[in-house]
Amino acid sequence: MIPFLLRRLVQSIPTLFLASILIFFVIQLAPGDFLTPAKLNPNISPESLAALERNFGLDRHPIEQYFLWMKNMLFNFDLGLSFSYQQPVLDVIKPRIANSMYLVLLYTVLFYAIAIPIGVFGAVRQNSLGDKTINVILYFLLGFPSFFLALIVIYFILQVRTATGWDIPINGMTSNGYDSMTPVQKFLDIVKHLAIPAIILAVSDAAGLTRVIRGQMLEVMRSDYIRTARAKGVSERTAIWKHTFRNAILPIVANIGGLLPSAVAGAGFIEVVFAYPGMTPMILDAINAQDLYLIAGFTVITTVLLVIGNALSDILLAVVDPRIKVG
Amino acid sequence: MKKALTLALALTVGTAAAQSAFVWPAAWTAEQNTANKRGGELRLSAISDFKTMNPFTSSEADSIPDRMETGAGLFTQDPRNDEFIPYMAAAPAVVSNNNKRFVVKIRQGMKFSDGQAITADDWVTTWKIHTDDKVGSNSRDSFFLVGKPITVKKIDNYTLQFDFPQPSASALSILSYAPWPDHVFGKAYREGGADAIKKMWGLSTPASQIVSPGMWVVESYRAGERTVFKKNNNWGDWNKDSRGQELPYLSNLSVRIVADANASLAAFLAGQIDIVGMRNADDLAQTKRAIDNGSLKAFLKPNVSPQATSQWITFNWNKASDPAKQKLFRDVRFRRAMSHIANRQAMVQLALGGLGSETYFSVYPIFKNQIEAGLAAGAPQYKYDLAQASKLLAQIGYTKKNAQGYLVDKSGKVLEFNLSTNAGNTVREQLGRIFADEAKKVGVKVNFTPIDFNTLVGQLTSKGENRPFDAILLGLSGGSNIWSFGSNVVPCGGNLHSYNNPTDGKCATSQEQLMTKLYYQGDAELNDAKRRAIGGQLMKAEGELQPVIYLVGGNFHVAFNERLGGEFAANMMDAYYGQRFQALTFIK
Repeated sequence: MIPFLLRRLVQSIPTLFLASILIFFVIQLAPGDFLTPAKLNPNISPESLAALERNFGLDRHPIEQYFLWMKNMLFNFDLGLSFSYQQPVLDVIKPRIANSMYLVLLYTVLFYAIAIPIGVFGAVRQNSLGDKTINVILYFLLGFPSFFLALIVIYFILQVRTATGWDIPINGMTSNGYDSMTPVQKFLDIVKHLAIPAIILAVSDAAGLTRVIRGQMLEVMRSDYIRTARAKGVSERTAIWKHTFRNAILPIVANIGGLLPSAVAGAGFIEVVFAYPGMTPMILDAINAQDLYLIAGFTVITTVLLVIGNALSDILLAVVDPRIKVG
Repeated sequence: MKKALTLALALTVGTAAAQSAFVWPAAWTAEQNTANKRGGELRLSAISDFKTMNPFTSSEADSIPDRMETGAGLFTQDPRNDEFIPYMAAAPAVVSNNNKRFVVKIRQGMKFSDGQAITADDWVTTWKIHTDDKVGSNSRDSFFLVGKPITVKKIDNYTLQFDFPQPSASALSILSYAPWPDHVFGKAYREGGADAIKKMWGLSTPASQIVSPGMWVVESYRAGERTVFKKNNNWGDWNKDSRGQELPYLSNLSVRIVADANASLAAFLAGQIDIVGMRNADDLAQTKRAIDNGSLKAFLKPNVSPQATSQWITFNWNKASDPAKQKLFRDVRFRRAMSHIANRQAMVQLALGGLGSETYFSVYPIFKNQIEAGLAAGAPQYKYDLAQASKLLAQIGYTKKNAQGYLVDKSGKVLEFNLSTNAGNTVREQLGRIFADEAKKVGVKVNFTPIDFNTLVGQLTSKGENRPFDAILLGLSGGSNIWSFGSNVVPCGGNLHSYNNPTDGKCATSQEQLMTKLYYQGDAELNDAKRRAIGGQLMKAEGELQPVIYLVGGNFHVAFNERLGGEFAANMMDAYYGQRFQALTFIK
């Protein structure tokens, strides 16, 4: 196990190095910089702009900027200063990452809670009316981009709201007056706000995983050892959940590596649609403002997490499937 | 005169009633809070996330420090007559040394939100930190005149002395910056310099550590979601309404972050926020519909005034690589012809949905007094007139048209130029297309292309003998009603003197020299009427030269939820002063 982790660590160094170069210079390729919009302000003098350029290090050559950034990151674990927030990048993204994690965790739980039973059901009752109906619905939902689905849902919620006066939250993460709530109320308030975006994401993504599980289950169910198990008289429930499912979830475990970075990276455009204070809206802002170190710092963090997540996946696979050896 | 008397009376009565308190004139609201309703929350929205709580590194409008600065400053402008009245100052400034020295007594008994007294040291420290270029404060430039610094000195605990390098009409406005606590920032600055200041008051700083001089102080901040402010109880000690009650009436102000302007309109229509900006006819129509069908109770008044913005086309005079074009762009007849081509009425109708104003000068139409002075001085307006445009172009030598209908010179070269604007700004894209269509009617070929904003700004602000563009359509905003000309725009060498920006920054024409001279002359003139007259001459020179073709500007509309009271009388609302003072706002 330890040699495996060490080897993974050594392998990840060139990956991260190349990724960091790409991240940094792709951002540099865009025309203009953080201060460009300020140049149009009739109240800022060229001297002040020059002073700001100096303060931000934007007057230096990109290669020099890159090495300074690298040095600070390696030796001080300092991802640089966000230009627009004037704060260390880590301080800026920490609360956003936490917010995104709440949403993504709830989404993940719902996602598996929906996809696994439906996938198993589809395999057990293959080609039944229920299987077909569910497939049609899920494929229909998969066809919509999640943000568009969200817009449709928001439209219906608004109709319900005007008709019944029922206050279903459609944006943000907390209600007005959140600060004066008791801890239990706070928890419920956040769950209330998370529920709709998390359900939309989970439902619209479920089709993919459902298909994988259904396919895997069908394949395993036809194998000899399941027939043997059935012949030995194990109950149907044990045959399906203990023998078949256990062997069918390998692709799920292999995907777990992606969970870690995606929990940090947030739920994408759905956060924008629901004005949810997660990572995506902030990163979009940062890209708009060309806030160099904020974009670069965030991307580096997700790359590191991807490497760690993949290592975790490999270890988990070995746990689930004894045929796979780590080391 | 009657208004001035009321104000004077209000001030005297106020002074007698409560020593060292500023009394907000009753005439500043249309509706008095006679019911004595207090408490409640004013709910606003913002489109971009808050970036910092630090007043020295904050760079955007609507920031947290901006909100806390509400109700702090030595002088304040009376929306009825634009005049500056003492606010944190105890009395009008004593002016000496040829209008260059201002000695100001500070009102006594004012306190920060943490209970510490506000004294002269706070102003001096704030000025020191703002002017340190290592801090990178956005306000730094406001403490310089023509590159020379303004200095601030403490005479005693309650007396300040400001020394200007030259007289300035904007002096009282410059003096009116918000004082931040010396006992917080001064201490850090003396110990750790600019770096220590930059590290202070980030978004993760606990709200309990934030100190405010103004009406509001941060109560809570939630990243990307909402900031709630509570009233600074010490502020009410020296701010009273005309009946002697402490202000503000409200107890909270909340600003919610929304995804975009559509989301803030939706929140307004759903009754979740109280005030929203109306961008266009569509916004107005949606709001009107919501009011008519009874789902929203709101006040709506369209076309209250023009916005304080401009949209224009500038031509590049520095095109060494293409002498023919440079000669053309430098020809005043060509630029006047271009102004005649601009169909501003169509632009208002088509691009702004009828809700806008035609503009002919760098002064925004909202600054009525200055515009009137300009027209009185004979500043010309080259209005839409294609025949006149053709005549002017013929004078330059463009009399023949080719088979495609474009004007050609003697060598057969088509009269054409490239015009760019920033992609994604739909209004500007429409303005450019209208302009190009009209130009085609007289035989001018305009190659109109929206391009990336950053590239465009890079081109516009580039310096040298050969700058990389023909013509650019863009806009500016910002400026005051005291001296309504841009310091970077009018004088030669300014980075927004967009039409002519050679390496040495020298003027190319005598009119530019005259405009530069008039700009500084007006900026130094303290007498309002005389200054406006100088501005008029400046507008005349600018109008005749037509270096920039001004097009149209949008209008300002007012909308707010009817639960709010305490707004301005309808005739006082405009894009410059807005619709109300928060201090006098109350929840019905």
